[in-house]
Amino acid sequence: MVNRRLFQVFLAVGFAAVSSVSLTAAVAATRADEITEARNPLTSAADVAAGAKTFRSHCASCHGLNGEGGRGPNLASGVFFHGSSDPDLLKNISDGIPGTEMPGLFYSPDRVWQVVAFIRSLNAGKKTIQASDVARGALLFNNKSCRQCHRVNGEGGRLGPDLSDIGRIRSVEHLRAALIDPNADVRQRYWVVSFRDAYGKSQEGFLMNEDSYTIQFIDMNERLHSASKSGLRDYTVEKTSKMPSFKDSLSSSELEQLVAYLSSLRPKGGAQ
Amino acid sequence: MKRIRIAAAAAVVLSWVAGPLCAEVTYERLLNAEQDPGNWLTYSGNYRSWRHSPLSQITRDNASRLKVKWVYQMQTTHMVETTPLVADGVMYFTEPPSNVVAVDATTGRQFWRYRRVMPKKVNVCCGQVNRGVAILGDRVFVGTVDAHLVALDARTGAVLWDVAVADYRTGHSITVAPLIVKDMVICGISGGEYGIRGFLDAYDIATGKRRWRFWTIPAPGEPGSQSWPGDSWKTGGGPTWVTGSFDPEQNLIIWGTGNPSPDWNGDSRKGDNLYSDSAIALDADSGRLKWYFQHVPHDVHDWDSVQVPVLVDDEFQGRRRKLIYWAHRNAFYYVLDRETGQFLLGKPFATQTWAKGLDEKGRPIRLPNIDPSPEGTYVWPGVQGATNWYSPSYSPLTKLLYLAVWENRSVYRKGEQEYSPGNRYIGSVPLIDLPDDPGHGAIRALNPKTGDRLWEYKLQTKPWAGVLSTAGQLVFGGSDEGHFFALDATSGREVWRQNLGGIIRTNPISYQSQGKQVIAIAAGNSIFTFELAD
Repeated sequence: MVNRRLFQVFLAVGFAAVSSVSLTAAVAATRADEITEARNPLTSAADVAAGAKTFRSHCASCHGLNGEGGRGPNLASGVFFHGSSDPDLLKNISDGIPGTEMPGLFYSPDRVWQVVAFIRSLNAGKKTIQASDVARGALLFNNKSCRQCHRVNGEGGRLGPDLSDIGRIRSVEHLRAALIDPNADVRQRYWVVSFRDAYGKSQEGFLMNEDSYTIQFIDMNERLHSASKSGLRDYTVEKTSKMPSFKDSLSSSELEQLVAYLSSLRPKGGAQ
Repeated sequence: MKRIRIAAAAAVVLSWVAGPLCAEVTYERLLNAEQDPGNWLTYSGNYRSWRHSPLSQITRDNASRLKVKWVYQMQTTHMVETTPLVADGVMYFTEPPSNVVAVDATTGRQFWRYRRVMPKKVNVCCGQVNRGVAILGDRVFVGTVDAHLVALDARTGAVLWDVAVADYRTGHSITVAPLIVKDMVICGISGGEYGIRGFLDAYDIATGKRRWRFWTIPAPGEPGSQSWPGDSWKTGGGPTWVTGSFDPEQNLIIWGTGNPSPDWNGDSRKGDNLYSDSAIALDADSGRLKWYFQHVPHDVHDWDSVQVPVLVDDEFQGRRRKLIYWAHRNAFYYVLDRETGQFLLGKPFATQTWAKGLDEKGRPIRLPNIDPSPEGTYVWPGVQGATNWYSPSYSPLTKLLYLAVWENRSVYRKGEQEYSPGNRYIGSVPLIDLPDDPGHGAIRALNPKTGDRLWEYKLQTKPWAGVLSTAGQLVFGGSDEGHFFALDATSGREVWRQNLGGIIRTNPISYQSQGKQVIAIAAGNSIFTFELAD
């Protein structure tokens, strides 16, 4: 039994399970909220492997197979909104996070510690972002006209995604791939709609919403439109990105600098 | 003149106030629900599950005059999947997770509200939803997501009895609307994503004592057990989460069962995995299996047989037969003989890429390379199927079967997963929404004797709403976009449409109030009712 949006919930709620008191007495005696260790006691390679297996089954549907983010936040950055300590992670995975779609996972604390170990491994060995790279990347962002379409902290265009907190929701790998091959993952919101109205006048813009009878979009001059499909002479929806590839227009070091800048973008007042 | 008008208005109000509203729904009334079109007494409108209203006041010619009668906003943030019942002027519906509300069917004003206090954590695969109540006598029955069955006083909402059907801490839950059969409440179970062992239960109306239980997964030594290796039967799934039908002449309860567990990895359960993904026919008094028909032997795509079985007596291939019409999640439309379970006809009603066809016994002839794989396998239909739990409708006037259809595919991923009580047991996770290929939906009319499509009303998105046909030659349906619409039952032409502003994820009904036909549907977190403007 699984039901598109219903199943989306399934993907999230699939984490949810029964009250911890339901399990064995042994488990009951070691509930996550009774754990007082300051650090994860299970961090061996075997623990990481076991945690990866659990993660794939229960977490990957929202957080991505490698924690790169998706419906849920990027977990590969080593920075978390609701507490970054080991006990914070144990609690949030075990109990869920109230007010969010993150439900609790009902395994023994040992099993959850292994998931924590895997999540920690996602960030292990990664280079620390250098402030100098971020600064150079910010210059590139401006010089390469990214700002014409992308907004950061209230400045820039509105045609592409607002990038003010892109470093929270997308991994370094995802950002790098998006710059090299923008067409690899074009979300529906950024499909391009073109049509002619009843008078033959052409319009083009980015799709914002569509149902069986109407279409909503933002045109290239950032004006909002809503049109009845029955009043259109024709229309097409292109699923390719308007963003150019930077594969050949940036050196490898420039690419990394731009990624560093994007990865540094977090909500103001933001993450712990 | 003005005085006369006021007096007339007062008379109307007085007569409205004076009429006592109290449900006394006898079993005989349920048996003859088609002769009682002013009410909607069971989940599907009648035991044959036609979801058809004999009311004919609203027609193709006047449906453009439909207007909102009243709206009831629920106190919930959960998804609403309830189908209301209406009995003698009172509407009963569930408010998710497992509350029950009774309102005046004329005004929408609340009489009572039963609020179910839930444990801190309850494990339901697809949201803490509920699809409705059952009613008999002066009692209302509801299943809860913490796996209890509760009897309420229809006049006050007071709890009369409350029994644990199963342990919610092991992934059991109840989302199905129960079905009354004689003096029993028939109640199914959810938990196919948690490795439950499925069953269908019957409970005594008066006491809540269990009369019988049919295990949908047989234990060793029982017929069908050879289709489960080792201990896999213990966690074999086969839930019963959508309301079935009842054939009083044969004393048969006909119900659909859900997927085997784990969903997308069948390595631990090699075999047909009876009676998952099957139509089962049970003797109503004993719960014994009379026959079964398995739509998807050894399912690895989560294609439950939880569609509502539509029971029709009609000529078929030269002789009069008791038939079942069944458009399945696996994209095939089936006709079965209701007396024996014999397969009579099967034909795709939506795009499918997994089977060459069905053999003479209705068993699918699978194509190669369609099973889930670690790297992912693209298959039509998607994991939500070509249709699902939302109800079809059969009109005895047009003799057509109407249903909501999805045209979509999924990438099915296989993975390892061991069983642990209360946690998901699905064998990896398929990617459901393909961002560059969201698919689309439709309302389709089929000739149920051939499976041929008569017409289609195309939708941009895939609908989660069932359909209702009426004697006014209309078909009502809804969409994920929040549109509720009426179509010409013979052509599929749209004759009326209203944006309700919220996803429609349930089934329409019709009843009569103060001499006027009413159409009711839940959208977003509200119940909407419509009638013709004067």
